[in-house]
Amino acid sequence: MRAFNAELSKLFSLPGMWLAFVIGILAPPLLAILDSLAEKEDIIAGVSTRLSEVGFTGLGGGVQGIIILGVLAVSSEYLTESSESGGGNQITTSLTAVSSRLQFLLAKAGAVTVISVLLSILAIGTTVAATHLILGDYAPAFEASRLIGAVCYWTFTALLAFGMTVLTKSGIIPLAVLMINSSVVTISFLLTKVTKLAFYLPDMAGLDMFLSPSGGFHTPFTGGVIMFAWVTVLFLAAAIVFHRRDVAS
Amino acid sequence: MMVSSSRKITPIFGAELDKLVTLPLIWRTFVATFIVNLALTAAFTSANLQGAIGTQSILATGLASMGYLQAGFIILGILATCSEYTGGQIRTTLTTIPWRGLQLSTKHLALAVVTIPMALILTGSGILYAFIMMRDTAAEMEIDTMIKTLLGATGYLTLTTLLSAAIGALFKRTTPALVVLLGYYFIVSPLAREYLPNIQYYFPDTAGSYMYMPLSSGEISSLSPLQGTGIILAWTLFFITAAIVCYRKRDA
Repeated sequence: MRAFNAELSKLFSLPGMWLAFVIGILAPPLLAILDSLAEKEDIIAGVSTRLSEVGFTGLGGGVQGIIILGVLAVSSEYLTESSESGGGNQITTSLTAVSSRLQFLLAKAGAVTVISVLLSILAIGTTVAATHLILGDYAPAFEASRLIGAVCYWTFTALLAFGMTVLTKSGIIPLAVLMINSSVVTISFLLTKVTKLAFYLPDMAGLDMFLSPSGGFHTPFTGGVIMFAWVTVLFLAAAIVFHRRDVAS
Repeated sequence: MMVSSSRKITPIFGAELDKLVTLPLIWRTFVATFIVNLALTAAFTSANLQGAIGTQSILATGLASMGYLQAGFIILGILATCSEYTGGQIRTTLTTIPWRGLQLSTKHLALAVVTIPMALILTGSGILYAFIMMRDTAAEMEIDTMIKTLLGATGYLTLTTLLSAAIGALFKRTTPALVVLLGYYFIVSPLAREYLPNIQYYFPDTAGSYMYMPLSSGEISSLSPLQGTGIILAWTLFFITAAIVCYRKRDA
């Protein structure tokens, strides 16, 4: 528990974390507003086929903040300080204080999970408000089950970023891969045109929890299970590698 | 000490080139980009081969992955300038080369020299792959359009790298620079393309894409390759100038 508190305090005192929070709270409503404005006429005329997706598209596309959160949580530990201040890594200090590596990793993952759940609830709040602001009475009802799906998607994305960064130690690769894959036309989506297996990629399956990009290939529940399986596998791999790796290397 | 500027440039250029070439991350980025690019081109090609025979263009398929390929070059540019700031290498650099403006502009020059062959290899390999796979089914391709497109794509990637290097020099840290650039190129810009169709031609990536995009006759207000080059060149020079001005004024 003390390790968990320490991790929370470390995360909240990272300057980059505030960037993650600002992006996480502002990007989804911004996307939702743009989407609502584009769909407004159709919705008022009653011919829109995407009424139920408005707002949720924002939550699906605005995951950049949470990616930064997951990546920075780990990459900040491995940042080398300048040679004038000893050229050390924070990770050596952290592991001196919490000597069980598994405990350290679990505490950090726990802190990331708690913060991402909080951040996603905040983001849902701003997104729903933004949608109501633009669409007024025409705004769709936000069902609780899909909102829970969105929270799960955000949290799993953060944990995926976390696991990837533990494996690579530097934030560049996970940031590049995940941010490119959260762009408007994702690589995963293009791959689904080549092979049906791509529907089992974590982001395509995860989106099924509250949108249906695959056209009902997975039910929301199986989509969640598939993404959770990815998170578990990645986390196990990260834990094994982290357990066996020399800290200084 | 009075040394004429022309005699300074050659050793500085050599030093900067040496630093870039010996940076292991540069080579790892290049190899990773190469592999990912081939994989993506393979995916695009096989997706296109399922379409109707005789309608696909080899150039369009070979360059379809450009949108993702540029991420590798953005990373390359950021690494080139931000690597100076990890661990205080910058102080050694400035002790030996106390002319800041000259140092940073030579760095960009050296980066361009490193990037051009890399970009040529990457775009060339994509087109070559598409050519081999689609030889039998695709429409005819003229050799001089291919050379023009190849040069355009190389120029675009080089300018994007230089722009990223300038942004990296402004931010001094890898992560924020990476977040800002990737966020712009992959999230803000596609959205702007959709919702602000009038001013998007003045954005560096959209303007730059006309350097290599095969002209489609359907679009009305598209730019010519030369206009596209001009706009992205202006953006790059603007950011390099801003980076040099900040670099001269700022505490290292």
